[in-house]
Amino acid sequence: MVRHLIFLGLSVAVLAGAAAQRAPSDWWAPNDVRTFERQTDYSNETGVVRTLLTGAPMETVGHPFFTPLGPNGRACVTCHQPSNAMGLSAEAIQERWQITGGKDPLFAAIDGSNCPTLKQDDPKSHALLLERGLVRIERDWPVKDAAGRSVKPDFKLEVVRDPTGCNSGEWGPGGKRGKVSVYRRPRPVANLKYLVAIGFAFDPKDGMPLDIDPETGTPSNSNILADARAYSLQAQARDAMRTHLGMEKAADAATVQKIVDFELRLSTAQASDRRGGALDAAGAQGGPMTLETSQPGQLGSQGRAVWSEFEAWEKLPAGVTGEQREFRESVARGAKVFREKTFLITDSAGINSPIGFGNPVRNSCVFCHNMSQMGNDVAPGQVDLGTTTQPFADPAPHLPLFRVTCLGAPHPHYGKVIYTSDPGFALTTGKCADVGKITLQSMRGLAARAPYFSNGSAKTLMDVVNFYDRRYHIGYSEKEKQDLVNLMSVL
Amino acid sequence: MRRVLALLLAACAAGPANAQAAGESVRFISCPIYRDVDAGRKSGCWLADERESGRRFDIGNAPTKPDWNHEVLVEGKVSSAADACGGVVLEPVRVSVLPGTCTRQMLPAEGFKGRAFVLPERNVRPVAVARPAPQPPFTERSFFLLYDFDRDFLVYQLDDYLLDQAITYIRAVAPKRIVVTGFAATTPAKVSGRLIAEDLAIAKARAQSVTEALVRFGVDPKNIETKWQSEAKPADAPGADGLAEASRRRVEIRVVPK
Repeated sequence: MVRHLIFLGLSVAVLAGAAAQRAPSDWWAPNDVRTFERQTDYSNETGVVRTLLTGAPMETVGHPFFTPLGPNGRACVTCHQPSNAMGLSAEAIQERWQITGGKDPLFAAIDGSNCPTLKQDDPKSHALLLERGLVRIERDWPVKDAAGRSVKPDFKLEVVRDPTGCNSGEWGPGGKRGKVSVYRRPRPVANLKYLVAIGFAFDPKDGMPLDIDPETGTPSNSNILADARAYSLQAQARDAMRTHLGMEKAADAATVQKIVDFELRLSTAQASDRRGGALDAAGAQGGPMTLETSQPGQLGSQGRAVWSEFEAWEKLPAGVTGEQREFRESVARGAKVFREKTFLITDSAGINSPIGFGNPVRNSCVFCHNMSQMGNDVAPGQVDLGTTTQPFADPAPHLPLFRVTCLGAPHPHYGKVIYTSDPGFALTTGKCADVGKITLQSMRGLAARAPYFSNGSAKTLMDVVNFYDRRYHIGYSEKEKQDLVNLMSVL
Repeated sequence: MRRVLALLLAACAAGPANAQAAGESVRFISCPIYRDVDAGRKSGCWLADERESGRRFDIGNAPTKPDWNHEVLVEGKVSSAADACGGVVLEPVRVSVLPGTCTRQMLPAEGFKGRAFVLPERNVRPVAVARPAPQPPFTERSFFLLYDFDRDFLVYQLDDYLLDQAITYIRAVAPKRIVVTGFAATTPAKVSGRLIAEDLAIAKARAQSVTEALVRFGVDPKNIETKWQSEAKPADAPGADGLAEASRRRVEIRVVPK
């Protein structure tokens, strides 16, 4: 069961002609007859990722998370693989293409290809998924909010570049269907109690109490999806069934709840590292058990410091030697750099505006990644790092480019006109000030699910660190960078 | 030589021509200056020059910090606090970010130590932390939220705290009636050579957003009356810390028990 496949550097051209026959045991296909055990381990490039299922083992047959509920043959598990920390890595996608010759339901035309209008048996038509792990996400245009209510956007949206063809003609925002396509990484469905935890009743980024889910009448912290288009896990499940599974008729409430109940039982984290050994050894508290047993929604600055799980490795006993010692000390240093190395954060909506922290504001990674054990934002975490928006985004000729023109007040940092490959949160709120804001990513199980950022622009964890270093002129030393990479690889 | 020395001493005793007295109120528009002092998180210094007098003030104690790309309206009182940033400390002080643009200016620390961040007294506790329960008899009470100039955004670590106090009281009282009144400083005032005034629309926006906030906190909208008015006069609002001009920009939440 524990296995590691090396597919780095695999090109689309190679994939086209390669259809291996072997079926890997670490791919969970819909309708597989399996038992989801209390503990499930899979190896990856740097170690082993572990998923814990709270409570008794569960048979997957007939469970809606593992059953194709729509016509395209996909189930939730298709894009939320245990071997990938309940997310999906580009490596696993490439392997799946090779094994099935592109016939796996994962590659369904509707969103597993760059655009349904393309020739579907050509791997180039699936390049965004194959090379960057990106799924097409179709949002309404003009905007509908998380409750499905029409919103009149305070900005104009124009398509500057459409390399996939899905933002032109009938498929584009100007077409009859009234849609806009963006491309995003699947988010892992584990450790979800942290993403739905309510730490504070007030959202300082919005200057208002938390938004209320009209379905339940309860507050939502909107930390589930990249653009906060789902108030709840139930709403997320319904959205995924309608779009990714292609269900024409909504699933009944009991089915939705069964999926959510299962998802909330999952805790995932890297459990061991090939250099550092067990991540809960020598006093450390890495691995998913800490996640499973801890109370979610706690602010690290007021309680247990973020990534203090590795604090014991700051002072290792003499018996730990060689590469293992070196690695563990590096992880501990990385946690301190993450918490303590401050830099000037500038021109990032959600941080420098509209909340009055100032522009610039000096702080460290934990300013936003502030929740104990998890590193997501205790407050609703919609922030514009610039990963999708010019001039901060890396060149991305493979992605669409939109010109956003603010019709009212200009964007607080970009002015009247913004160029972005994904307007992000603005596609839910209709507000120009929210263009480019993307909900913070989960930081657990990273080693199992590259690439990173919502648009897959960082192929490696070092790319993540380098992006931040460039974006905020941090000036990390090479040692600090490697320490951060090592830290993130064990989360 | 002795005469020169005497003159120098006299000049020092008199202080600079633009000297200030503790408690003096200032109000001006300027471009902010960031001093990159590193005393840990949120420790950078914010300065602004009052162009009329040439004085440089430390405005970093304001709940809302500046944006170095935009002008700021500074309202504050001169404090006798030690200079840690390279300016006369204003405390209390309010900063409003204005639409006018500025050229970014960042100074190095130049030996200034800055101030380590201290969590303000007005901070909201997590939902898991129980609030002290208000005790009866429950009387009619007003709570005030304060705003930056021309904004309806609830100021972090000021208004969220004040709103938390209001909703805690409201939940204890379960009032039949709550009157939310938005105020705007619509009377033009000359500041740094220009006339500034808020529009009545901002009073409406403030009132409506506070009503929405109360509804999000579970208050029945049928029990809320929402009003707004112009030409706001200064009010004795605790969150304004005695800054008369800042107190004009407010929302009053009047809780009527019966």
